[in-house]
Amino acid sequence: MTAQTQPSEFVGKAVERLDGPDKVTGRARYTADVFLPGMLIGRCLRSPYASARIVSIDTSKAKRVPGVFAILTGADVAGYRYGRVCRDIPILAQGVVRFVGEKVAAVAAETAEAADTALSLIRVEYEELPFVVDVHAALRDDAHRVHDQPPKVVGARLRNPGDLKMYPPLPNVISQLTLRHGNPAEAFAQADHQFQHTFNIPSVHQGYIEPHSCLIAASDDGDVDVWMSNKAPHGARAALAEALSIPKEKITLNPVFIGGDFGGKGGLMDAPLCYHLALHARRPVKMVMNSFEELTAANPRHAASITLTTALDRNARILAMKARMIFNSGAYAGFCPVPTIHGYTAFAGPYKVPNCDLEVLRVYTNAVPAGHMRSPGGPQITFAVESHLDMIARDLQLDPCRFRRDNAIAEGDLSPIGERRQFLHCRAVIDAAIREFGWDRPKGADVGRGIALYEYPPGTFDDSNVVMSIDGAAKVDVAVGAPDTGTGFHTIVAQLTAGELQLPLNDIRVAFRDTGASPFERGPSGSRLTTTIQQAIKAAVDAIKTALTTLAAERLGAREGDVRYRPDGLIEARGKSIDLKALMAWAEAAGKAPVVRHGKNTPTGRSDVTCFAAQIAEVGVDRETGQIRVNFMVTAHDVGQVINPITHQGQIEGGLVQAFGQTVCERLHFGDDGAVISATLGDYKLPTVMDIPDLTTILLPVPTAI
Amino acid sequence: MKPFSYLEPDSLDEALDLLGRHGDDAKVIAGGTALVNFMKNDLVEPRFVIGLRRLKHLQAMTEDNGLRIGALTTLRTLETSPTVAGYAPLLAQACRLVATVRIRMMATLGGAIAYADPALDTPPALMACDASFTVQSRREARTVPAYQFFTGILETVLAPDELVTEIVVPRQPTGCRTAYIKFLPATHDDYATVSVAARVAVADGKVVDARIALGAVGATAVRAAAAEELLAGKEPNAANFRDAAQAATADLEPLKDIRGSPDYKRKMAAVHVVRALQAATTAPHP
Amino acid sequence: MRTVHTTVNGQRVVADVPDNTLLVDFLRSQLELTGTKESCGVGVCGACSVLLDGKPVSSCLTLAVFADGCTIETIEGMADDNKLHPLQEAFIRCGGFQCGICTPGQIMMAKALLEQHPRPTRMQIKQWMMGNLCRCTGYYKIIESIESAAEGTKS
Repeated sequence: MTAQTQPSEFVGKAVERLDGPDKVTGRARYTADVFLPGMLIGRCLRSPYASARIVSIDTSKAKRVPGVFAILTGADVAGYRYGRVCRDIPILAQGVVRFVGEKVAAVAAETAEAADTALSLIRVEYEELPFVVDVHAALRDDAHRVHDQPPKVVGARLRNPGDLKMYPPLPNVISQLTLRHGNPAEAFAQADHQFQHTFNIPSVHQGYIEPHSCLIAASDDGDVDVWMSNKAPHGARAALAEALSIPKEKITLNPVFIGGDFGGKGGLMDAPLCYHLALHARRPVKMVMNSFEELTAANPRHAASITLTTALDRNARILAMKARMIFNSGAYAGFCPVPTIHGYTAFAGPYKVPNCDLEVLRVYTNAVPAGHMRSPGGPQITFAVESHLDMIARDLQLDPCRFRRDNAIAEGDLSPIGERRQFLHCRAVIDAAIREFGWDRPKGADVGRGIALYEYPPGTFDDSNVVMSIDGAAKVDVAVGAPDTGTGFHTIVAQLTAGELQLPLNDIRVAFRDTGASPFERGPSGSRLTTTIQQAIKAAVDAIKTALTTLAAERLGAREGDVRYRPDGLIEARGKSIDLKALMAWAEAAGKAPVVRHGKNTPTGRSDVTCFAAQIAEVGVDRETGQIRVNFMVTAHDVGQVINPITHQGQIEGGLVQAFGQTVCERLHFGDDGAVISATLGDYKLPTVMDIPDLTTILLPVPTAI
Repeated sequence: MKPFSYLEPDSLDEALDLLGRHGDDAKVIAGGTALVNFMKNDLVEPRFVIGLRRLKHLQAMTEDNGLRIGALTTLRTLETSPTVAGYAPLLAQACRLVATVRIRMMATLGGAIAYADPALDTPPALMACDASFTVQSRREARTVPAYQFFTGILETVLAPDELVTEIVVPRQPTGCRTAYIKFLPATHDDYATVSVAARVAVADGKVVDARIALGAVGATAVRAAAAEELLAGKEPNAANFRDAAQAATADLEPLKDIRGSPDYKRKMAAVHVVRALQAATTAPHP
Repeated sequence: MRTVHTTVNGQRVVADVPDNTLLVDFLRSQLELTGTKESCGVGVCGACSVLLDGKPVSSCLTLAVFADGCTIETIEGMADDNKLHPLQEAFIRCGGFQCGICTPGQIMMAKALLEQHPRPTRMQIKQWMMGNLCRCTGYYKIIESIESAAEGTKS
């Protein structure tokens, strides 16, 4: 895909990121780095049981600990339920706990030490209840029901094809999505080959190095100041307002750097509790989850059990696929911002599957609630589909690359879920990967090679806005509604703005100030931001140019229709010209600067443009131990115009190593009671620099348009 | 972390005095990589923490009837020291694979021993080096062979008032070659799934001396004495190595954890005993 | 409570700290040097790396009293006035950071590396930097940044 951007000196150039100087000097301020006068530390007491009734909580001893300002239990925050789509998360457990690690009580104290001492003195009496941690067990008729009643559901809309049922009459099911296109029954009846495999994919953690953190100060007149590690402050403000039943105008999310998101920091996490602690203590309260809490009780990626059944004709062409995907959502659904797991939209995306029958279930269990992580559902489904295809190819004695290539989606084909797409460069991407890797070259003993394909369309949903202003010195300020979570978002906004206005990059400033001083932005999500904000920038630049035209006409004594922008940067009308700096200086003297304009983009519907990736890995296998080492990888991508090669390549490399980790070394291990037992970074193994494979990246700049 | 009083003795005598006085209420801190972790999680809650960083002579190595390594010598020093490479290359090999370089710069050999985590790399290496530990208190000084020192998970023969002051490693006998294998199927910075230290001397086509010790295979590192005996006088070939591996691992009771089942770990221990013996007997002579 | 005499980024500091204070908390809360980050709390991730007498330590596992009589270097001391250190420049130039939370630790660790090995091989870089986790970059551009800084300081 390609951005329709004016070629400029800055679009496409590897310009240094604007946030670099702050980040390499330690000046960049993250939530945990903010200290307020009188600030207290908030800490939680968590459930040791997967499922239990809370018989009693005694906080009397804890209250006597010096330095303790507030102690809350479920009774203090009864009546509140929050969550994204499904409002099922209590601020503190309400009479029952549903997973090991659920918050039961909380303390705000002058020091972490005092808070921890108080926590250790809170006595909770539990009565253990039955529990279920396996999704298949949870789906049985006689299964323990994690929740008695379905919660309030808000905004359970599908942006994509499929039929959605929220809380259907099935045990522990949160949502059931079904989707059929073509005539799968007929296709299966005609098939020469049929294969069925089931894949169980464990949960992984987002692995951001900055844990969830928040700091909340509530003033006596009801104003609430928030600093929190959240990728989308406007969304968080609205969610917090609803969760706390206060008007959102009263809430301000202040700018902080975000220490890694990867989809995991779109929710509220401890913020509602932190607010109540601040309210009770009448002091600002900071809550920073420790690494143990992050790994055991945050919102990791969903574990999945995926069964695939494929019908093929005698030439090994895919006729139909059936998929049943069961996602383990843990004890609460509200950590997910959407009703189902969107990965299904990219299900078998690189392939022509004329007939398809899909069911996606989200299921409650007594495990840590699952949330979003980079391409939610994508790795699970891709791992299943690609492994399934490899097993089919092996059984049919076909080369896995050729088998994929023969079944690859091409121009004119519908996607597996029946959507019309264009600019389908799947085969070109496969070919590029094969060529670079040297697929047919000889290989050593105990060496395996494998290819996998992926398809993902750019997100084109929800509004993006910018407020652009140009001042008397012809400096441009672009106010955006979200922080740069690390992707280079702000730098890209600056590059696009500089390109549109033909101004030096140094004259552009991009900032997220706070939710009061910035326009709405949905934030990074589903690969949308670069695409959606581009149109908002264009709209703002057009409006700025219109205003400049009016100013220039006035200054040059001409009609607006006569004003022209020359390639050398001068503004000309009726034989006279002026440069932008002079024009703006004049405007300022005349009280007409700064010029401030708003640019908005409301995308209309799902993009029919998509991108492909093909990856080939060479893997050494130790047959005695089962150990594998990924020696070398080629990753090939169908890309449009790259705006910043540094940040673009950074996304590819970071994403690849995350996928590598999920495949090779990362896994949340659960005990029999559903407790996460890989509870430190000593046991939850993120890849280190010693572990990564050698990597070659191929970019195919294919000219297409959005 | 619970409050404690930090005490910083200027001399070994003073340190032993403090230990004698506070006994069970005290913990000794060197690099802190293990103890601080334990204190942060309230797994130990000492009233007194005795810091040893002023005891400079315990940071030194001397050659006197073997290499006498001060207990406060860091793993990084051992890994990079030419003296250690000469006396006990196996120890240097094991140290090189401990955690990450920053941790090795903080952690000390004495600390690792006293910590007695069964997954550590230095205990099996020290066993296979015939090392012994000097243990001191106000009452007495005694010497404990490495293979008798560890008694359980995080447990040793140390009495509450005792301190490991030095690790004595005899010069490796001529003709010996060594290998330390740390099985790391996940990441390079992980704890061992299993580990094997081997030191073998071969003369006239026969094994004349063998030391084999294993880590992460149970409650403590273990020396595989039966396997050592079995190898003595035998040809260093694959069949004999497999027999030795069988003898070394048959009675192991590895712990079940996220790195594998007891059965898998036992199998992996056997595989790596063979590999360590092969590596040692094919390594270039020092 | 103990009095700690230390030199932090070239400045003499005398401070009273409770005995059970960690170096990371001393730096962040007491000295307000929040460039040093805390994440895993167990010495694995390296976000809290600082140099104590020139030697890298995990400040999350180091007692603040250990700093008594020592020098401490943190990320805040890397730039000379407003002139960035060559490593800082290289991390910006090569894109060796994204979210930035691990970056101070990466840079402090890399500084210690280059002091010991001014022209490290790629394997030396990887072995040395293994204890500093980064979730954003996949490490490729961190390696490149360190190599670039080393090349720049060759002459």
